[in-house]
Amino acid sequence: MIKKTFKIPDMTCSNCAMKLESLEDSLDGVKEINASYHRLEMVIEYDETRLTDDQIVAAVKKKGYRAEIA
Amino acid sequence: MSKKQNKPIDPVVIVMLGVVFVAIAVAMIAFQPDSNSINIAPGSGTMSQLVVAFITGITTGGLSCLAVQGGLLASSLAHQIEQDYVEHAARSGHGKKSKTSAPVRSNSALPISLFLLAKLIAYTLLGALLGWLGSYLTLSPMSRAVLMIAIGIFMVGNGLRMFNVHPIFRYFSIEPPKFITRYIRRTAKGTDTATPIFLGLLTIFIPCGVTQAMMATALGTGSAVMGAALMFAFTLGTSPVFFVIAYLTTELGAKLEKFFMRFVAVVVLILGFVTLDGGLNLIGSPLSFQNLTLRLAAQGSALNLSPSESIVSAQADSPQPATDGGLILEVQNSGYFPKTLKAPAGKDFTLNLVTDNTYSCARDFVIPALNFYELLPDTGTVQVNIPAQPKGSTLFFTCSMGMYTGQIVFE
Repeated sequence: MIKKTFKIPDMTCSNCAMKLESLEDSLDGVKEINASYHRLEMVIEYDETRLTDDQIVAAVKKKGYRAEIA
Repeated sequence: MSKKQNKPIDPVVIVMLGVVFVAIAVAMIAFQPDSNSINIAPGSGTMSQLVVAFITGITTGGLSCLAVQGGLLASSLAHQIEQDYVEHAARSGHGKKSKTSAPVRSNSALPISLFLLAKLIAYTLLGALLGWLGSYLTLSPMSRAVLMIAIGIFMVGNGLRMFNVHPIFRYFSIEPPKFITRYIRRTAKGTDTATPIFLGLLTIFIPCGVTQAMMATALGTGSAVMGAALMFAFTLGTSPVFFVIAYLTTELGAKLEKFFMRFVAVVVLILGFVTLDGGLNLIGSPLSFQNLTLRLAAQGSALNLSPSESIVSAQADSPQPATDGGLILEVQNSGYFPKTLKAPAGKDFTLNLVTDNTYSCARDFVIPALNFYELLPDTGTVQVNIPAQPKGSTLFFTCSMGMYTGQIVFE
């Protein structure tokens, strides 16, 4: 398991954070996601053998946001 | 093959409907029909009391409450609108080009309904408590002022956040604790249910003038069931006005997505400043916009007149003296008249507050500096002893929502 922080510059409200955290339920290999609108970032703890950074970025994009590794 | 698709309603029709609806509502307020009365006769039947409460809600209550609580509704909708905006941007970004790419917002009805449902439940429970506990739960004007100032600052901060003025304003958006969001996510399908429900519940802390009068009526019932039924009927009456205006506004916004975010931010900002100003009025601050305007107007009129004219003006501006040598202030549905009273400095005097079929929040009369607060009868005269004040000082008075104001200038 590793923990990585992604910058999410497009978040506009705290609902966006809740929406990103819902990736916990849909992305395989994710243990926990903590997203913060205040800091415009998402901290994700995941199994790097089952999930790649690109897959995370793509999943975030599907939710309507850009993600960049911090 | 033929995709079943609802034809979007012409925005012009929506605008016209909205304008007509608002016009009817404003006309109802302006002409103050008899049904506005909330003076439920003790001898009248229970059913007729509830009908009167409902009619009061659907006429004056709806718009009056929307003016006071609209900010909370706008805040709850703002989250939904922001999310819709992001989702729409995401869809457009996926390259699915379609001629009918105009954003269709079908989500605004849910948060509005949740907000109103939460409000209905909260007020019904409040009615039960009021009926049971009597007057112990009434918020003092000072505590309401503090609450209004806090809500005003919150709303202004949120408006500035939506304009992306500075990252610091992001902290005006409340991030619910993680365990709550997780719970909501796993128990509800969407994540947008908590905010409108929470904000709907919060409305009990900022009741409008008509609601306060109805709360006073609920107090008088002395029964938890009757108090609950009365507040339920009244709040149910206010709901259609809330729903239609809010829904039309957001649906209209869907057609103008690009500009709507800024529109919402402007509305939240304006409502925030209005709420903040009301709170400042309630603490009797001379720095509120209304009190500043009153003072400037009074100074301006004094500067433009010669000394002899000034005396005549002061007399004309002042109310007719009462027979006991006091002053008369007319408390009308649209505020206090005259707005500026002139009283002799260094002498006690009696202020006669005269109401005549007055049902607006002007009835809830407050003089913050004297810590005086009284719900006036809808028709009658209430005398207030004003202690001697130094020359050049000013006493501000206001309604309990800080909407209507006036001042007594001591010369």
